Amino acid sequence: MKVKCYIQGMAAISPQSTFEGDIINMPLVRTESNRLACIEPDYKPYIPANSLRRMSRILKMGLTAALKCLAVSGVSTPGPIVTGTGKGSLQDTEKFIKEIEQYKETALNPTPFIQSTYNSVNGLIALQQQGTDYNNTFVHRGFSFENALIDSLMLLQEGYSHTLTGAFEEITPEHFYIKSRIGHWRADPVANIDLLNTNLPGTIAGEGSTFFVLGAKADANSIAALSACKLLYKPSAAQLTATLQELGSDADLIISGANGDSNHAHYYQLLQDVLPQPSIPFKHLSGEYDTAGAFALWLAASLLKAGSIPAELFPMVPQFPTDFKKIVIYNHFYGEQHTVMVVEKV
Amino acid sequence: MAERVFITGMGMVTAIGDNVAENLQHLRQQKSGLGFTDYIDTIYKQVLPVGEIKLSNKALFDKTGIPVQHGFTRTTLLGLAAMQEALQQAGISDVSATPTGFINASTVGGMCDTEKVYFDLINPDKEGDFIQSINTLDCADCTQRIADTIGFHDHIATISTACSSSANALMFGARMIKHGMYQRMVCGGTEALTRFTLNGFNSLKNVDKQFCRPFDNQRTGLNLGEGAAYLVLESESFARANNSTILAELSGYCNANEAFHPTSPSPEGDGAYAAMKNALAMSGRSLEEVQYVNVHGTATLNNDVSEGRALERLFGTKVPPFSSTKPFTGHTLAAAGAIEAIYSVLAIQNGIIFPNLNFSEKMEELSIIPVMELKEGVLIKNVISNSFGFGGNNASLVLSKYEG
Repeated sequence: MKVKCYIQGMAAISPQSTFEGDIINMPLVRTESNRLACIEPDYKPYIPANSLRRMSRILKMGLTAALKCLAVSGVSTPGPIVTGTGKGSLQDTEKFIKEIEQYKETALNPTPFIQSTYNSVNGLIALQQQGTDYNNTFVHRGFSFENALIDSLMLLQEGYSHTLTGAFEEITPEHFYIKSRIGHWRADPVANIDLLNTNLPGTIAGEGSTFFVLGAKADANSIAALSACKLLYKPSAAQLTATLQELGSDADLIISGANGDSNHAHYYQLLQDVLPQPSIPFKHLSGEYDTAGAFALWLAASLLKAGSIPAELFPMVPQFPTDFKKIVIYNHFYGEQHTVMVVEKV
Repeated sequence: MAERVFITGMGMVTAIGDNVAENLQHLRQQKSGLGFTDYIDTIYKQVLPVGEIKLSNKALFDKTGIPVQHGFTRTTLLGLAAMQEALQQAGISDVSATPTGFINASTVGGMCDTEKVYFDLINPDKEGDFIQSINTLDCADCTQRIADTIGFHDHIATISTACSSSANALMFGARMIKHGMYQRMVCGGTEALTRFTLNGFNSLKNVDKQFCRPFDNQRTGLNLGEGAAYLVLESESFARANNSTILAELSGYCNANEAFHPTSPSPEGDGAYAAMKNALAMSGRSLEEVQYVNVHGTATLNNDVSEGRALERLFGTKVPPFSSTKPFTGHTLAAAGAIEAIYSVLAIQNGIIFPNLNFSEKMEELSIIPVMELKEGVLIKNVISNSFGFGGNNASLVLSKYEG
């Protein structure tokens, strides 16, 4: 979909120090394991203590990122709330499966069941903010966040002034193990800064909660513009090439979802061949997960706002463009869901 | 002006039938699909009634014409069965001949099968073919397997907003058509019974040990069900150029959040009221032009008070005939919105209003009662279909008779 909208505010909880401060002064968090965990903020300023006790991890991360995003955007109501999540609350799903077994289906606590529902974060944001408008949750692996974006772009065209659009994902130790059984992760631990130096099967796991307030009109608060979002399901090389050329030939900077996984690296090679412009990776910062595209959008908007690329965060990149106005993000999730976003300076 | 959106194909499988015609037949015969489960491993096997489709997974493989294999969960198979009928009815033999999007809905993905092997999945000592099914846990799995089997390769998405999921899938597809992104979308949802959801709703103490009694003063909860349903949506210009058979118009819809409680609706039905009111406003129809409301009507204590109050607030003393079809199918969660959208179209096409089974006593909080007997020969031009879910996710659709 090629319709322009404006990022009016954003917030990200990630394995990097993204929640506080700005990207220019952000230190690189170096990791040595294959499971990157979020740096969780102090939730108390955002969530009352009695609610906090009952909430599982992804609910806290989702709600807090959404609340901070709304606060920095200065909007009085959230408007439509549209999110994406590939896995929802894994912690609650795992807990309820186990409690069914452990307590032989009797006297079960319903809380993990309720919180395992994929739309529970959306419901919670609406409840806290009295957001009675449109509310939707997409649950489609590497298309979850991008479908939320498409939905938001339609809502803005339908007359809403702004939307709250985001994504949230967690990786639990148990789910990390499950996915290791089908080769999602590197067999041996790899440092995040070395991830792209080796071309081996598997990558590193990540997680994150990222929210944006998207507006229909640009104003003094606009951080960046999102001018295109395209989804390609299991595309042929020719289809992918055509889309990258159409959307990216005049881009100044490419943000690549490259994750060092040799099973699917050929798509990122194709990206480099079709769009030879300067390129930076982001999975060494976020790890791989269904909705990592939301982190990439946060990164693109942050860099456009800052006007430069902090070398500290990208030790594997030899040199950076000094001036960039148009960024193309290309990402795919295990070769199936491919997405291209175009982000521009306002 | 955005294009009108027409329904040009429908397919379904529920506890009362393996296709649309069988569903209609059993609705007419007032034959409920509720009973006890043959396929779920639960201590409630003979305790909690469910709306189960009496086809084993093997029978579903046969029905859908694909070889028995790992990775195809019951959720996927039910969806495939409904999808095949919808496309056949719409006269679509090659879905890729016209760019066609697919919007699916699911609440727990392939949990029906995953829960049977979950403890092996997390046990390093266990090896076997079950590992091929690892990816079936999430909600996208069924969507992609259906898409790949059928040959969808354009826009695909999966929506999960609890019990309003497939109503939102229909809405999202209709909006993509109105925005000119696609001329044709196939939308709906699929849901298989699981031990996970049965225990989930039971832990909330809102599952009835008897057959559910929507809008009855003595109701004590819902019965779960399983099923799948898909509707083919086409833009007006495409449907005309393509000479499609137009079954009905999706003339209005609204998604509104209630922002009241994580699992309970508000006593005055604010969300239900807003969803119905705005959907009707979008359709351009007046209150008097609604001849039937297919209510959400789960038979939980809270839903029926809330939804009933919303009906009274919206329609005043002139509440149209309404009924819940949940006593036929059970509550099919993510599939319910699409199943009941098809029932609404059947009501319009056949001039019938389905009875609200198991009703005997008016609720003390309400002055209205549901339709108790099958009504035939009724002119039905507009139907409101409601789907309300956890997280305050409310959705209403308006289905209208096609009159050129």
